[in-house]
Amino acid sequence: MNEIGVISQWAFNLFGTQFVLNKDTLIMTWIVMVFLILFALLASRQTKIIPNPLQSTAELMVGTWADLVDDSLAVKESRKYFPLVCTIFLLVWISNMLGIVPFLSEPTADLNTTLSLGLVGFIVAHYSGIKFKGIKAYAKGYFEPIFFMMPLNLIGELAKIVSISFRLFGNIMGGSIIILVVSYLVYSLVLPPVLYGFFGLFVGTVQAFVFAMLTLVYIVVQIK
Amino acid sequence: MENISGADLVRAAAFIGAGIAMGLGAIGPGVGEGFAGGKACEAIGRNPDEAGLLTRTMLVAQAVAESTGIYSLVVALLLIFVV
Repeated sequence: MNEIGVISQWAFNLFGTQFVLNKDTLIMTWIVMVFLILFALLASRQTKIIPNPLQSTAELMVGTWADLVDDSLAVKESRKYFPLVCTIFLLVWISNMLGIVPFLSEPTADLNTTLSLGLVGFIVAHYSGIKFKGIKAYAKGYFEPIFFMMPLNLIGELAKIVSISFRLFGNIMGGSIIILVVSYLVYSLVLPPVLYGFFGLFVGTVQAFVFAMLTLVYIVVQIK
Repeated sequence: MENISGADLVRAAAFIGAGIAMGLGAIGPGVGEGFAGGKACEAIGRNPDEAGLLTRTMLVAQAVAESTGIYSLVVALLLIFVV
């Protein structure tokens, strides 16, 4: 059984400040990025009316998300926010899938990854809220029913970051720990592939979808 | 029985706390997700053409209902592996 809770880190000093990098998370995220960039390059190399399998896969994924974003936003804003939402989905999805490959681990099983992705969504949502409604209407949203509800609204907004990032982190981390423990109990016979199928493929896909969908919902709530 | 020290008691309390946190925390999401799933099944039975939209909405709602359960999972993991 692997050691749980042991993280290999790179630490270095820069201008007198100590920087610590999580080695596994960093390498795995770069693997995901290389995979996605290679896929995008190969899929868009020779675009034709009659697509090759790679191009139609890419068209399927991008098209589904374009439709989803179009459902909830007007056309002009939809074209603006669709790339962000689709990119977040693809990154999180491939990250979650990475756990079923031997010797690789999910970068999303690290809270740093999910928290930074959640922060990106949060900042984009509030920036676009200020931009579309104006700073006055945006600030008025916090005093919505009555003025003394302001602290509750503020905490409610901040809790969104915590809930969206901890949801993804908890699901992926919990899944990988359950797989580790059960594999240890049954001496890696029969059960682990089934668990990898459930936690890696099913839960990974659903959570990636939910993460991107909630980012979209937060943006929509701020714009409208 | 003299070998049981304070650290062991803390460990034992952390394990018991993890079990209680997970067990109680799983009740709410279980009820909530089952409710959402059941209502979505009813709606799909009444209006099968909208199955895709209903499934999508159901998944998002279930994921939101699940978050408290995930918090308790994180707390339980912290209690087991960190304390």
